[in-house]
Amino acid sequence: MKHPVRMLVVCAAALIWLIPFAWMAVASLRPDVSGTEDLASLLPAGPFDFSNYREAWASGRFPLWYLNTTILCVGILIVQCVTVSLAGYAFARLRFRFRGTLFTLFLMQILLPPAVLVVPNLAMITRLGLYDTLPGVMAPYFASAFGVFLMRQTFLSLPRDFEDAAMIDGATRLQVIVHILLPLARPGLVAFAIVSVTSHWNEFLWPLMALNSPSHQVLTVGLASFTSAAESGGSWGVIAAGTALVAAPLLAAFVIFQRQFVASFVFTGLK
Amino acid sequence: MKRTLAACALALAMLARPAAAATDIDFFFPVPVQGKLSNEMQRLITAFNASHPDINVTAVFAGSYDDTNLKTRAAIQAGRPPAVAIESANFVREYVITNDAIPLDDLIAKDGTTPAAFMENFWPALRGNAMDGTHVYGVPFQNSTPILYYNEAAFREVGLDPDHPPATWQEWVDAAKKLTKRDGNTVTRYGLEMVTTYDTLGWLVSAFTMSNGGQYYNPGYGGEVYYNDPTTIGAVQFLDDLVHKHKVMPEGVTDPNAVGNAFFTGRAAMIVNSTGALSFVRENMKQPFRVAFVPRAMVNAVAIGGGSLIIPRGNSPERQKAAWELIKYLTSPEVAGGWSRFTGYFAPNMHAYELPAMKEFLAKNPDAKVAIDQLAYARGWFATYNTVAVRKALEDQVQAVLSGRIKAPEAMANAQKAADEILRPYVDRTAMKLPE
Repeated sequence: MKHPVRMLVVCAAALIWLIPFAWMAVASLRPDVSGTEDLASLLPAGPFDFSNYREAWASGRFPLWYLNTTILCVGILIVQCVTVSLAGYAFARLRFRFRGTLFTLFLMQILLPPAVLVVPNLAMITRLGLYDTLPGVMAPYFASAFGVFLMRQTFLSLPRDFEDAAMIDGATRLQVIVHILLPLARPGLVAFAIVSVTSHWNEFLWPLMALNSPSHQVLTVGLASFTSAAESGGSWGVIAAGTALVAAPLLAAFVIFQRQFVASFVFTGLK
Repeated sequence: MKRTLAACALALAMLARPAAAATDIDFFFPVPVQGKLSNEMQRLITAFNASHPDINVTAVFAGSYDDTNLKTRAAIQAGRPPAVAIESANFVREYVITNDAIPLDDLIAKDGTTPAAFMENFWPALRGNAMDGTHVYGVPFQNSTPILYYNEAAFREVGLDPDHPPATWQEWVDAAKKLTKRDGNTVTRYGLEMVTTYDTLGWLVSAFTMSNGGQYYNPGYGGEVYYNDPTTIGAVQFLDDLVHKHKVMPEGVTDPNAVGNAFFTGRAAMIVNSTGALSFVRENMKQPFRVAFVPRAMVNAVAIGGGSLIIPRGNSPERQKAAWELIKYLTSPEVAGGWSRFTGYFAPNMHAYELPAMKEFLAKNPDAKVAIDQLAYARGWFATYNTVAVRKALEDQVQAVLSGRIKAPEAMANAQKAADEILRPYVDRTAMKLPE
């Protein structure tokens, strides 16, 4: 409470951030909100029940979609952890020609809007025989420019003394990375994991392009398949309930691991 | 149960012809109206697979019309085209221009008929968007036109006769003025609202322009639009007047949800929306409502919207054959009629209306009958090279007019300039490519 003004700003920001969630919660619990005067009401006015959730759950194959989305996010993350920490190490510690130029080129990937890459990526995964498979959806994300950047910065911020000591004792580079650097860089990896999982959990366009079989479908596309309504107007209650079902695992995870997450972001200076 | 039946049928077919494996094909479909249509489509495809043991169709939800277009084109370029896709009816011309859809003439000929005779099955207004010259490229599957929905109670309340809805623009403005309720400076009920977000806005402006005596675009050539002409400027000026002069329509851009809700809650007495929303309105509107033709300036005219089935290039003859079976099934009078009753779209296949189920439905739902009657005045939908961009060139300017930032003549001059720029590459290699 040392800075009342700052506190006020933070509270206001939190409130603005909270509104969509509050609306989602209220709308999803009110049956038959379409066509009522107080459609956008934030104030909980009954009657409430779970009929929207029942309808949303029955409209789609949620267990399958949860499974596929989880496989997708975890699969991407596991490979990314290997690639970004090794590449981050290379850019942070190894000396080689054109290191600066290469790193700049690497970073430029962040500037490319993903929609531009849809066609070339699709052509590539088709050639690899991965069209309409989950590995096909994952493949373009196995390397991450953002992750490499983040890990490089994290490694650079660590003192070299431990590594030097280990090297003198005869440790190989891989041993140094796995046993010394990675444990120290854990907060950086956790921060990256959050960004990675949230973005792939929420991604719509690329899975829509790369997957066909209903049995490979993911949450976002599944949700759209029973809530999109361009020409008529939506059933808000069901849309809100479906959205809550999609967002719930991430929200729950965040609440459970909040302490670690906040610590990671403070450590890396990420916002 | 159905799955078991399908499996039995499949097993039988395999016993009968041990060498023939089922042809696996993908079918991309968008869901532009309501989410639950997606499940109904899956049901139709399951029924198709059960009755066609030699074909196995996977129905793939592909997002909106624009998403489906993107997905289809990406899949074609990646060498894995779907065998069948539903594309927005006015994208068909672009598929022809880029050579990404195959003509269906040969498949039609194999059934012992001609392209012209085949198209006779469909409403005349649909044929323009489905054909290029004498060749058939698209088979209409789900179609709609804009239509006027009005609140019966509101009409009576202000002394208007619900049996005689406004038929001309003048009557429309007069009615909208009476229906608009004000409480001091705030409007508690608008006389009129319409959907003015992308896609629908261009569709409506084209309808108003045609009603105003115009052409809007060149139906015979994909490189020309007539934005900076009196008929279009007049139509846009009319919208501007409704908002800023008569003040019977809200300022700015209104999306389908806002328009639907305004109508359901009595905050809008008349709305212009797609006939494809009929089922949705019927389910959600608690007060009595009716529908009528969109009022006219000089002539009654609306533009057809909706989706057509195409076969993308890059499919083997065997897959094309399977695709054609699916197309014939989906556009048969029975299936098309059922889909129409479920969705609110009208059935493109005219023979659907000869079936008893359809006659019964129309008797029970006279609003659906109005949508059919209006078809006599419907015309093809705006289709050019790079359709979406050319359409947006107009929509951006009309939205600026609706927001009060610019006036119609200047806006349409801008729209024309932007559209010409987008069309130039095509024009240069077609109409402006002259003998040397």
